[in-house]
Amino acid sequence: MSEKIIEGVTDALNAEAVTAASQGEPEWLATRRAEAWAVYEDTPMPTTRLEEWRYTDLEEKLDLAALALGSAPAIADDPAAYPAEVREAMDADHEASGHLVMVDGHVVHTDIDDSLAAKGVVLSSLKAAVETHPELVQKWLATEAVPATEGKFPALSAALWTDGIFLYVPRGVRLDLPVRVTRYYAEEGVATFSRALIVAETTSQVSYVDEILGAEMEKQSLVSTTVEVVTQDGAQVQYVAVQRMGKGAFYQSHQRTLAYRDSTLDTLNVNLGASVSRVDLNAQLLGPNANSDMLGLYFGDEDQHFDHNTSQDHVSPHANSDLLYKGALDGKSKAVFRGIIRVHPGAQQTDAYQTNRNLLLSEDAVADSLPNLEIAADDVKCSHGATVGQLSEEELFYLQSRGIPKQIAERLVVMGFLGEVLSRLPLGGVVEKVTRAIDEKLHGPALLD
Amino acid sequence: MPQNEVIDELGLDEYKYGFVDEEQHVFRTQPGLNEEVVRQISKQKEEPEWMLNFRLKALEIYESKPMPKWGGDLSTLQETLDEIYFYVRPQDRMEHSWDDVPENIKDTFEKLGIPEAEQKILAGVGAQYESEMVYHSLKQEWEEKGVIFDSIEDGLKNHPELFRKYFGTVIPTADNKFSAMNSAVWSGGSFVYIPPGVELDTPLQAYFRVNQERMGQFERTLIIAGEGSRAHYIEGCTAPVYSTESFHSGVIEIVVEKNAHFRYTTIQNWSNNMYNLVTQRAMVAQGATMEWLDGNLGSKLTMKYPSCYLMGEGAHGNILSIAYAGDGQHQDTGGKIIHAAPNTTSSIVSKSISKGTGRSSYRGLLQVHDGARNAKSNVECDALLIDETARTDTFPYIEIDEKTAHVGHEATVSKVGDEQLFYLMSRGMSEEEAMAMIVRGFIEPIAKELPLEYAVELNRLIELEMEGSVG
Repeated sequence: MSEKIIEGVTDALNAEAVTAASQGEPEWLATRRAEAWAVYEDTPMPTTRLEEWRYTDLEEKLDLAALALGSAPAIADDPAAYPAEVREAMDADHEASGHLVMVDGHVVHTDIDDSLAAKGVVLSSLKAAVETHPELVQKWLATEAVPATEGKFPALSAALWTDGIFLYVPRGVRLDLPVRVTRYYAEEGVATFSRALIVAETTSQVSYVDEILGAEMEKQSLVSTTVEVVTQDGAQVQYVAVQRMGKGAFYQSHQRTLAYRDSTLDTLNVNLGASVSRVDLNAQLLGPNANSDMLGLYFGDEDQHFDHNTSQDHVSPHANSDLLYKGALDGKSKAVFRGIIRVHPGAQQTDAYQTNRNLLLSEDAVADSLPNLEIAADDVKCSHGATVGQLSEEELFYLQSRGIPKQIAERLVVMGFLGEVLSRLPLGGVVEKVTRAIDEKLHGPALLD
Repeated sequence: MPQNEVIDELGLDEYKYGFVDEEQHVFRTQPGLNEEVVRQISKQKEEPEWMLNFRLKALEIYESKPMPKWGGDLSTLQETLDEIYFYVRPQDRMEHSWDDVPENIKDTFEKLGIPEAEQKILAGVGAQYESEMVYHSLKQEWEEKGVIFDSIEDGLKNHPELFRKYFGTVIPTADNKFSAMNSAVWSGGSFVYIPPGVELDTPLQAYFRVNQERMGQFERTLIIAGEGSRAHYIEGCTAPVYSTESFHSGVIEIVVEKNAHFRYTTIQNWSNNMYNLVTQRAMVAQGATMEWLDGNLGSKLTMKYPSCYLMGEGAHGNILSIAYAGDGQHQDTGGKIIHAAPNTTSSIVSKSISKGTGRSSYRGLLQVHDGARNAKSNVECDALLIDETARTDTFPYIEIDEKTAHVGHEATVSKVGDEQLFYLMSRGMSEEEAMAMIVRGFIEPIAKELPLEYAVELNRLIELEMEGSVG
């Protein structure tokens, strides 16, 4: 009998690495890692034969065997030691309830407003939270939101994560200002696994902005992040991820949001950087009157490849979800949007919408869009739409007839197209930053100045 | 009155044509599919050697391809395929006048309304009874115009060059598992040639019927619409109700040449134990138009996605699809449009109704290739759900590799709204009248496209019976 081929086990990613990662950890966590690794070994590497990976060929896009585990030392918790990009990003931020800085997978800084800390709000490294808040982490980490059994990457993340972000907001506590996370990835030829765990207790409120930056890379690195967000009854959470990593990086993010009764759980994923960017986002509507707005924005140039795989699971009746993903594609970039609304049996009075719009700015850009519906209840309002088109001649003509040069007019129309997404979740600072970043990609004088 | 009662009254649910004729076949193969069966079919049909080789090659391809894992549930299909007869021939010769058609077959047609259609001088009735064309009449004027409307077997015999030039070119054998199966065992179907410039006012009509338990039907149709021609072909199917599952897998190839205009209408009402897996595709040349009008009411599972390959500049493709899925039925239907040339345009409109435990899925592909400048396409899917156990899905694939493309897709899912009902009832309608009107209104954009005097069965099911249910 031939030996079973285990896919994705490499010199760096193997059972020994899992054991090493478990060093000094409580037994429950070491066990969880080992179980996740077993799932990883049993799960084949996704191929384009799988519907969800139809348009992203990992064999071509990711050389897993070439990756080492990250070994860059942690830098000092001193702004002077931070990479310039991190400082710039933080300087441009408006006020915040707290900060977390992560460089090459190490959490190097956390701070949280004293009055919030006194109310029990926790913002810390996930590693630290394992010690300080074991029952919360044990309850939520890789369990109900993104368990290892979700797939190859979730299993790998659950087995090999090194650190991450833990945000906990106790019952009834409301944060007026966002929590800001700034990450930076520069180490080349490595795989880094981090996780974010956000738990908002009943009737609490928080906004979370995760800015993911990085250097240009000659050798590919895999930046894997798993995001778990829980809103208990009546809580409100806004989750924002802005990915502006350097070319060469493979950004892989697996996200799931659990929205219980009367809660609001909105997400915004902005993807501008990295060579390959794959985001899996699943929104679970688990209680009546739960509400999720799901926003996405991407701008591609050169040979960037974006793949957004979203799903809206209406498990409970009387819940709402509304998805809008928009992207502009220049150069030889390619975007894939695959979204599905699943209305489960009995989820009556569901309102679920899904829209994907793409703007092709160059001859060589490609957009694939697959907006799907699976409806197993009859008293629902569901619709979806997808469009692919180019800049509207009428709009350009209008602006040019007002004396605006063609190049500027084009940029204005693109910004207007993408701006619709940002205007739906106008968190302080995010709109300006994203606008500026898109401006830079459009290679011209900044429109904002 | 609850919605489902209204649907019952509309008569969409009951399979009304489940009558069975006494079988009178001359020859049939052993159950199941193997090389010997394929050789026997070819021998029975006295085919040239190239066709035998074509069939054998196709069988190889069929056997090498895995059973599809997407779409409907095909998990028990193999057992069905092991039991069915792949070839049955009821008669030895073609009939040319109505009087010569055997009484029991006539009887079948009568129940389906064919003679009525004949009375209205519908001419060109090519009917498929079991696996052969048994009845064929062609209007005098068409013969004068050089139109060929033959059984596919006669097409091969009488027009070998034309046949061989196009056969298997639109849908290659290896396109999918079931096109390969059909290529190996095809039997029956139509061969149509419309010479350049010829316009036909009255549609060409074929009627299909499967009559024997556990018999597969593998009709193969090849249509060539010459440059600047204009025609309409109608195909409709019914089958008697049987307890064991049955199987139908057709291949329809259409070549629409420069500036031609061709419409193909299918009214599918197979009985609810039938697998209906059909590949139909048109190659559309410069300035030409292809229209598919696809109605799926019957079968246990239908997987059918009519497609238009827009190969020449300015070609236009149009797909209208209507599906009704009652208890236990799954209609997995839709359409594909491939824009491979500049200034091509297309539109897909799909309407589905799911009732009871029925499930209707729209599955579509819209592809714009690099260089197909200024392609424009619009897709609209609307689904109506009648019961809380009913299910609907929408799976559109949109692949755009051309900057100047302009494409859109929209889908909505709804149930009959209380507001709509209330509005109509406040105008003095009874609830069932209101419900019937809403359902009629829902499918009207497609129903109105049907040639009323021809599509006897669909008319009956959708238009006349609905009207009859009011009041």
